[in-house]
Amino acid sequence: MSGKIAIVGAGPSGCYLAQALLKKAPDLQVDLIDQLPVPYGLVRYGVAADHQGTKGVARQFARVFERQGARFFGNVSIGRDVTLEDLRAAYDAVVLAAGLSSDRKLGVPGDDLPGVFGAGRLTRALFEHPEAEDLPDLGAHPVIVGNGNVAIDLLRLLAKAPEELDGSDLGEGPSRWLAQSGIETITITGRSPAVRAKFDAVMVKELAKLSDVRIEVVDAGESDEPAEVKTVEALSAIHGHWTGARLITFRFGLTPKAIEGEGRAQTVRFDTETGEELIPCTSVLTAIGFEAAPGLPRDALISGATDAEAGRLAPGLFAAGWFRRGPRGTIPENRADAQALAAVILDDLSADPARVGGAVFDGLDQVVDYSGWCRIDAAETEAAPEGRCRSKLATRETMLGVAGARETTK
Amino acid sequence: MKITILYGTETGNAEMLAEDIQSEIEADHEVDLSNLEDFAPGDFDPECFYLLVCSTYGDGDLPASAQPFADAMEADKPDLSAIHFAIFGLGDSEYDETFNHGPKKLAELMIAHGAQQVGERVAHDASGSDMAEDLAFPWAEAVIADVSEKLGEAA
Repeated sequence: MSGKIAIVGAGPSGCYLAQALLKKAPDLQVDLIDQLPVPYGLVRYGVAADHQGTKGVARQFARVFERQGARFFGNVSIGRDVTLEDLRAAYDAVVLAAGLSSDRKLGVPGDDLPGVFGAGRLTRALFEHPEAEDLPDLGAHPVIVGNGNVAIDLLRLLAKAPEELDGSDLGEGPSRWLAQSGIETITITGRSPAVRAKFDAVMVKELAKLSDVRIEVVDAGESDEPAEVKTVEALSAIHGHWTGARLITFRFGLTPKAIEGEGRAQTVRFDTETGEELIPCTSVLTAIGFEAAPGLPRDALISGATDAEAGRLAPGLFAAGWFRRGPRGTIPENRADAQALAAVILDDLSADPARVGGAVFDGLDQVVDYSGWCRIDAAETEAAPEGRCRSKLATRETMLGVAGARETTK
Repeated sequence: MKITILYGTETGNAEMLAEDIQSEIEADHEVDLSNLEDFAPGDFDPECFYLLVCSTYGDGDLPASAQPFADAMEADKPDLSAIHFAIFGLGDSEYDETFNHGPKKLAELMIAHGAQQVGERVAHDASGSDMAEDLAFPWAEAVIADVSEKLGEAA
């Protein structure tokens, strides 16, 4: 089967989709477009720097370009450089797999006070996303609001001693920032009781390896439900873990009501079953989910979709991954999703040889192709200092410089 | 030799490795490749040598694509005493408590139904510095040599 398919977003969902499409129909032209000069999205900027094993899926994604013939068009923003309409006119099918990168706000009074930071904003800075804001001062007593895996990632990174980051790709600046954070206590709060916390038990168990903390779990609760037993066991197992002075406290059943303070977050006011509770803090880190970044009109597209469940937005226009489902599900769930969506797309596909495909990007400045990414990748790997597996290029300019550098001799 | 590579995968990494092993050995052998989710316990053939490639997921669990196979094994209770297999595991030592428990469970399941394991279970560590195929290719070569000797065939 022939045809031209554009996938907007070269993160795990987009890459798994390209892999599935090309497995079923190797003659397709599949183009992955990313607004960054580098591919792999959350594998690079969302999976924690100390979870290199999880990042191993990038080897599969490299194959999609190297062996399955997909092409990469990096540093291209749909909406700014090329309109969605023009893209749809150029391809037989367009798939939006741009993810959800904006932090969902708490939606309580004071959630915009200085000292309140979204998890995405922080992890982008920690993992050196080129559009990240600076790493802020969290003070000695940050409070994390949220009970998902992102909250646990943040907690673990903030709690780690410098030597526990050996083998990671955490950059020099973020490593120094962590080493000098001055954090004495971290309180992590969830709205639900412990048994219904969303994090995976294995993420909690991992905390038992921390080398310089003391962990208190308040009200781990009890359950007979198999799905809940694992969570309870994991929480009970880390309760009392004591290897150092930095105190981590897990609290449950706390619904945030307001963030208060004189010009800066100083207290979180919670509702609990037994009344109000105030927890003093020096910063509030929210990890309660993500929503679409401005750019693509996701809400309108999803609400007007012909069949959002199957991923059909409009004729020839599809949605994949978090962009379709919302901010739930791990990397392999996006793989299963991508395989189902590939079947839907191929069912619908009617190829028109007159469509121009990748030529729609002709004339754009500084488009990064896959070989450009390979030069960035090689430069980053070569520059890795002792104790790190990579040293990321942290700005768009440096990436574009390295991507565009051609060998002068052959 | 007739060889079937069976893989249990969640992220696709075990599938990729299984495909790589197939490419590596298919010049010398007749090789089939199947996802465990598409393989039934009744499909085992005593003439064939089985190379299992399996990851670990979640809290030391079998990966998603191995689970239906495990359920079918429990239900069908096949007699696999004429079946020879070897197994290669993928894991991540970040989660040391459950490191490579998926392939361990799969091997135990095979042995519990009488199948004969050839060679040791080899484990790749995603947090280590080796490439999976750098361990898996020599492993495949070694277990194929082992089983050839055992079955009195030329490799």
